[in-house]
Amino acid sequence: MAILEIKNVSKFFGGLAANSDVSFEMTEGMIMGLIGPNGAGKTTLFNCITGYYPPSKGEVIFDGKKMNGLQPDAVCKLGMARTWQKVRPLAKMTLLDNVMVGALCRTNSLKVAREMAMEQIKVVRMEHRANFLAGGLPIGERKKLEVARVLATQPKLLLLDEVMGGLNPAESDEIIQLILDIRKLGITQMVIEHDMKAIMRISDRIVVLNSGEKLAEGMPDEIVKNPEVVAAYLGSE
Amino acid sequence: MKPTNPLHSQRGASTVRVSAGIAVIAALFAFPQFVESPYILHMMILFFLSTLMGQSWNIIGGYTGQYSVGHAAYFGTGAYTTLILLTTKEIAPWYGMWVGIAASVVLALIIGSICFRLRGPYFVLASIAVAEIVRCTALNLTNLTKGAEGILVVDIPAFKIGETIITDFSSKVPYYYIALVLALVIIGVTWLVQHSKLGYYFQAIREDQDAAHSLGINLTIWKNSALVISAAFTSLAGSFYAIFVKFIDPSTVLPLDLSVQIVLISIIGGIGTIFGPVIGALVLVPLSEALRSNVITEGLIKIGLVSEESGVGIFLKEHLAHAHVLIYGILVVVVILFMPEGVLGYFRKMTTKKKGGEA
Repeated sequence: MAILEIKNVSKFFGGLAANSDVSFEMTEGMIMGLIGPNGAGKTTLFNCITGYYPPSKGEVIFDGKKMNGLQPDAVCKLGMARTWQKVRPLAKMTLLDNVMVGALCRTNSLKVAREMAMEQIKVVRMEHRANFLAGGLPIGERKKLEVARVLATQPKLLLLDEVMGGLNPAESDEIIQLILDIRKLGITQMVIEHDMKAIMRISDRIVVLNSGEKLAEGMPDEIVKNPEVVAAYLGSE
Repeated sequence: MKPTNPLHSQRGASTVRVSAGIAVIAALFAFPQFVESPYILHMMILFFLSTLMGQSWNIIGGYTGQYSVGHAAYFGTGAYTTLILLTTKEIAPWYGMWVGIAASVVLALIIGSICFRLRGPYFVLASIAVAEIVRCTALNLTNLTKGAEGILVVDIPAFKIGETIITDFSSKVPYYYIALVLALVIIGVTWLVQHSKLGYYFQAIREDQDAAHSLGINLTIWKNSALVISAAFTSLAGSFYAIFVKFIDPSTVLPLDLSVQIVLISIIGGIGTIFGPVIGALVLVPLSEALRSNVITEGLIKIGLVSEESGVGIFLKEHLAHAHVLIYGILVVVVILFMPEGVLGYFRKMTTKKKGGEA
């Protein structure tokens, strides 16, 4: 059964179509790669799915429920969580407190939240940083903080917006391993990424956006051979 | 990078802290037995009242990061409700204050539903505007508030439980104890907030609203909760002020000055901390008193820095008392430049440096 169905989603800003008529489905447990040149509408689509923008047209159906018009907090409670392209740590709180804020979405007890948070901090392997202020962590660790924090909200579907952006190759490898670990936990993931090698390695399927429209969808090896995709990335002549 | 909460030595430190706290509270309760000077009691009452006001603001401003500069609206609502009920319906203040709290909570929800759509400086401006609307309303609703003439009460009815008279408010002592209890209650409430889901959600909203929203935090509900808690205690401070001073008018309980002063108590002491507003009150109350009574000029003359007959001496004597707003302004600039985390934050930093980096 499809965990997420995107049906003909369009988003207009004034006369500009940031997304037009995008449709695809995700099955449970898969990793979906979402790629496209800059300005293709990837983050806009994330925002439409997670409630930051209401789609101008079309439907987002998650776990059999229509999501249009729901606020981000309600979307999160239903089990769909996202990270941000530009990291948003709660700077004056510790790593543990950051992750606890995520966990408090599922419990009212600080004690339970602390246990849940420590579990997720172990998943991202940052136990040694638990009591450090989030604002003082380097970028690679802030990205992992974001992942631990959304994991603590116990999502069924996780949307990762460029979690490898700005990281060095060693840090990127760590994140790739982390995404594969999260798959083992049974969490479905949609990943926006510019690093082609990485996205080809981890994705089960890939959707390519270009100028707001879906250009192609398929297995990674189909996508690399698709002449339209190559043209969109390298320019056609 | 330094760890902020080393787990070691925490238990020992907290036992010392708890015993010190209990000792201070006991001393404060015993204080009126030893000190009879009404002037000193008066100062202490103002200190407790300022703590209550600063701490109430701290919950919405310090913890939740929503800089309301319109808290005079709740203070005034508490003060007016209590005295109007007392003078027109003869309802005793300890019942009237609850009506005041209810009125302030309703007002807070109305203000919240309007102003919380805005963020940052726009929220600040909206909060000022709404408080000014409340002040103008009080000024012009003359048949209820007596407008600029103000409301004066001569007698506060004795506080009775059953038939036993607990106190008849004939001295400053009962006010001292009420103010002390209110200050302790708000410190306790702040502690509870900080050590519960509320505190985590409020701080998450302060640090990043969009991130908080994506983590399942309903911004409307939680921001309004913070404002309601804050408004309720600010209203209580207003009710207390009204029966303590026995005279209110729009220019004493509803002006913008007062809203700013409430913010300053918290900012000078250190926002988002339990003891910041206490420290802020400890700095501001004696300072404003010193300015009012011209202690500073007299001091300067005594040390011989300024001669009494010189032009400077005469100038200071005449004008320094009226310059408290200027001095406040300078103080705020100094705090923001040199102690951006308030007096408490500044001293914490100094002590951490000495201990070699651990907080």
